[in-house]
Amino acid sequence: MRALPLALLLALVPLPAAAQVRGVELRTPRAFGYFQGDLVQVQAEIRTDPGFTLQRPSLPKPGPVTYWLDLRDVRTEESRGADGAHVIRLRLTYQDFYVALDARTLEVPGFPVTVESAGANGSTTAVAQVPAWKIGVSPLREVQPERRDDPADYLRPDGRAPRLDPQPALASAAGFLALAVLALLLLAYDRAWWIFGRRRGRPFALALKALGRAKRQSQGEALYREALLALHRGLDATDGRRVLADDLPDFLGRHPAFKGQAGGLEKFFSASRLAFFGRDTAGAGTTLPLPEVEALLRRLGAVERSA
Amino acid sequence: MNTLRPGDAILTDWREAAARFEREIGKAVVGQERAIRLLTIAIFARGHVMLEGDVGVGKTTLLRAVARGLGGAYERVEGTVDMMPTDLIYHTYLGEDGRPRVEPGPVLRRAEDLSVFFFNEINRARPQVHALLLRIMAERSVTAFNREYRFPNLQVFADRNRVEREETFELPAAARDRFLMEIGMEAPRDARARRDLVFDPRFHDTDRLTEEVEAGVLDFERIGTIASAIQHAISAEPAIEAYVVGLWEALVHPGPAGIRLPGIDMDRLVQGGASPRGVAFLVRAARVRAWLEGRDWLVPEDIRAVFPEVMAHRVFLEPVYEMRRAQIVPALIRAVFETVPAP
Repeated sequence: MRALPLALLLALVPLPAAAQVRGVELRTPRAFGYFQGDLVQVQAEIRTDPGFTLQRPSLPKPGPVTYWLDLRDVRTEESRGADGAHVIRLRLTYQDFYVALDARTLEVPGFPVTVESAGANGSTTAVAQVPAWKIGVSPLREVQPERRDDPADYLRPDGRAPRLDPQPALASAAGFLALAVLALLLLAYDRAWWIFGRRRGRPFALALKALGRAKRQSQGEALYREALLALHRGLDATDGRRVLADDLPDFLGRHPAFKGQAGGLEKFFSASRLAFFGRDTAGAGTTLPLPEVEALLRRLGAVERSA
Repeated sequence: MNTLRPGDAILTDWREAAARFEREIGKAVVGQERAIRLLTIAIFARGHVMLEGDVGVGKTTLLRAVARGLGGAYERVEGTVDMMPTDLIYHTYLGEDGRPRVEPGPVLRRAEDLSVFFFNEINRARPQVHALLLRIMAERSVTAFNREYRFPNLQVFADRNRVEREETFELPAAARDRFLMEIGMEAPRDARARRDLVFDPRFHDTDRLTEEVEAGVLDFERIGTIASAIQHAISAEPAIEAYVVGLWEALVHPGPAGIRLPGIDMDRLVQGGASPRGVAFLVRAARVRAWLEGRDWLVPEDIRAVFPEVMAHRVFLEPVYEMRRAQIVPALIRAVFETVPAP
């Protein structure tokens, strides 16, 4: 917005209700040099006695004012002046559509604005007249232009749009695509979709790890029982159910890859029975010593990897 | 894996007798090895048994063979809708001299050596009769003729068929809980056994068939002593105790135990049941099974072998699921065993 008020038109309009409206001041930009389509910003400052406020319905409505002029926008702000007066500021935006053939001055019509004061005995209204003012409009080109053979030459060539660089947009699109694919992969992994659905757990590898942890924490009979438990959990996880000693043939039927370990598993089950239910951990230890449990776990883990 | 100590020679002898008993019963009833094994367990656990199954699968034949193998007296009554408790206890008739007589009825007639009392179609009898039976089963005694009759060796076998529901009275939960086992009997699946049952005339005459069973393979009067000796001889380790309690917990609260069955709200499935008495019965039966297998300690397989028969009828489902009980309870039990870790 052109902030510089090039012309200052001051009009003090004496009104019948002049006692309430102290004055109307119009600040206009330059008074000449307007072309067709230009926006004209005007500020009207209405000073009233304290207690008066603007009656908004009395403001002009945005829309055509005359055949060549539109009111585009009306904004208001109210404040208190230095002398105690109430100041109403109207910011008006007009648009000029006059197709001038020569430079001439046109009058922008004024309009009344009502202010009111709501007192105990009803409301008092007063009218502030915003005065008419003038703008000087000018033609865009001469009336008789130079003669051209091709009528198209009367038109100005199109403005050249700057060439936009698509590289950053492409790079960010590729980046977001990569992020989306990564998120989809993570989701698929979480939901076990697609190739992740077929991934097999490695229960015996986990059991071996658990045994490694147990070795650091316990020893003796407790460690031996932990080792047996780790193998049990590995078998359970492999089969998806609890495998008891009597289930071994069925287990081997369901998982033929482990048939080579049948002997070791049989020994394991009889040792486990003795240790957990037969109150004979020592006997179990001779049936299947701890290193053999670990070796059996390793062999099972190897079968599991190759299966 | 014979780990019975030499001091338990009597138990070893009895185990051989039990095996012979099973073989003898197997002569008369083919293709029912599991039912025979469970009945043997029930006999040595001193528990009453409910047989369930279709008509004509051999329930009565099996019980007659068991009664013959056990020795002792055998009584049989048929449940009817107009049967009253007094019909079991008293026998009333007009004597030859035209005077009314009251004599002991089927239950009292041979109270002392009554070893098998077979109640056919128990769900046709009224609740009054169930109440009397409850007393006989729980206390093995009944009061009549101003004195107390005792049945030290009595074992009650009842049967009900699953086909009809008209004019039947569902057994109250308390009565069902007194039965050690509910054994479901089905026609044998084995094609050879089926052909024999249909074409071999040996199986058509039940009287002759049961006579083939050697009478009194087991001494019914001593079974009580042996039964309690078995319960003391078979030890249960803390691991097996934890296992049984874990199974029990998972059965009653399948939701928190992580059991999921398709289309069922697991948190609302089980209403109650699985009484402490039921679980005690379970361990009792499992101990007998361990003894029959020649061990003097329990293993999880013992529990699993008797679990469905001992526990299934003690679980009470929400009414919504009760009609589908026959599918839901076996699935639940299978899931419980697949979920609870054994050692």
